[in-house]
Amino acid sequence: MTGTPMEWIRFVLTAVFMIVGLCSFICAVLGVFHFGYIMNRLHAAGIGDTMGLMSVLVALMISAGFGMDLFKLIAVAAFMWCTSPVSTHFMGQIEYFTNPDLSSYLKLRRRRGDTEET
Amino acid sequence: MRKRFKKWVMGRTDVMDRILDDASEIHDQPRETIKKQRMELVREMEERPGYERTVEAEQKGFYLIYHIVAVISCILLIGVLLYTVAMLPRYGEENTRADEVVERYVEHGLEETGAVNIVSGMILDYRAFDTLGESHVLFTALICVMILLRVDHKNMRSEYEDYYTVLSDRYYSLERDTIIRTMGKILLPCIFVYGIYILLNGQNSPGGGFSGGAVMGTGLIITAAAFGFDRVDSFLPLRVSMWMTFLSLMFYSFAKGYVFFTGANGLENHIPKGVPGAILSGGLILPLDIAVGLVVAGTMFGFYSLIRRGNIGGA
Repeated sequence: MTGTPMEWIRFVLTAVFMIVGLCSFICAVLGVFHFGYIMNRLHAAGIGDTMGLMSVLVALMISAGFGMDLFKLIAVAAFMWCTSPVSTHFMGQIEYFTNPDLSSYLKLRRRRGDTEET
Repeated sequence: MRKRFKKWVMGRTDVMDRILDDASEIHDQPRETIKKQRMELVREMEERPGYERTVEAEQKGFYLIYHIVAVISCILLIGVLLYTVAMLPRYGEENTRADEVVERYVEHGLEETGAVNIVSGMILDYRAFDTLGESHVLFTALICVMILLRVDHKNMRSEYEDYYTVLSDRYYSLERDTIIRTMGKILLPCIFVYGIYILLNGQNSPGGGFSGGAVMGTGLIITAAAFGFDRVDSFLPLRVSMWMTFLSLMFYSFAKGYVFFTGANGLENHIPKGVPGAILSGGLILPLDIAVGLVVAGTMFGFYSLIRRGNIGGA
């Protein structure tokens, strides 16, 4: 047992966030290989892209401490959180608009405000 | 509870069923008609000669052999790579197997090429012939993909969009999507500036033509995805991009040919090297970096555009 209590708290927090992140990445990989349809796979991949990535980055931020690395990691997190949900959305939209057999995979529902021609 | 969770995972029930109870289901008519047409196409394909033979080949265990070969080759590749890694010297130890070439690169690289980044000096000065070949491979690949995938009036059935192309999702685009447009507006300047930075700073820091060109090509792809191919056409039409790629390759070939014939093996190189570390340094490395970057950006955007639309840019 070496190190101050502060260092131990940091280490434990880092480990917890890292494990959460890795678990969600494992979920994402399992989901991507388990599901057969693109929407389910997008959902699974989105878990890894957002929560897994953020947890791993938070763990790295805690272990890096205050400094230039922290800001670089924040920039990486901002960039990834801007881009990966948008790309997921993009793929989902393309699937929705171009798959002619969509209603055999999904239940399409009309929201209350929508008109007849959607 | 466990059963319901399993059902949900397998995709048989929807947890949103109760929440959206009052919403009515859409029976989408246009999709149904397109589906019927697709089924007719599939039936037509099944009646063609040769279809049964293909199916038979699949049933005869083609996929079994395929999987076995894939697994064996993957294991072989992993073994070879791990063996090679085990042969490498440890970090920081003296490499006893290093030959004079490595020593020469590390010790005299800066004064001979003028590049702080030794890798840049290597790939664009000592071994520029190799990089020249790589650029030509990219250009050739672009031409081949163009031959295979380009759709223009010469290989369409009629001047109008015919039955098959209307069904194709080639003519669909998401230009009006607010989310993608907004993120594109925010991100595109950063991406282009970063790509140009990597491109111009290749001789001083990690990066260079290939990575900078890849970032700029990604920027072009995002422009096309968010704002439509017409937006890309407004600053980089097909003619311009082809001439850009071609002229970059020509410049590379001539510049490097000049260097090969005059200064490659210790003879004097007439291009000034500049102060190491400055942007305008490294002699020919900076212009060559820019040429390689333009080739790579044009090739990446060309691939995306040809696969998506069957043409480079709009039209």
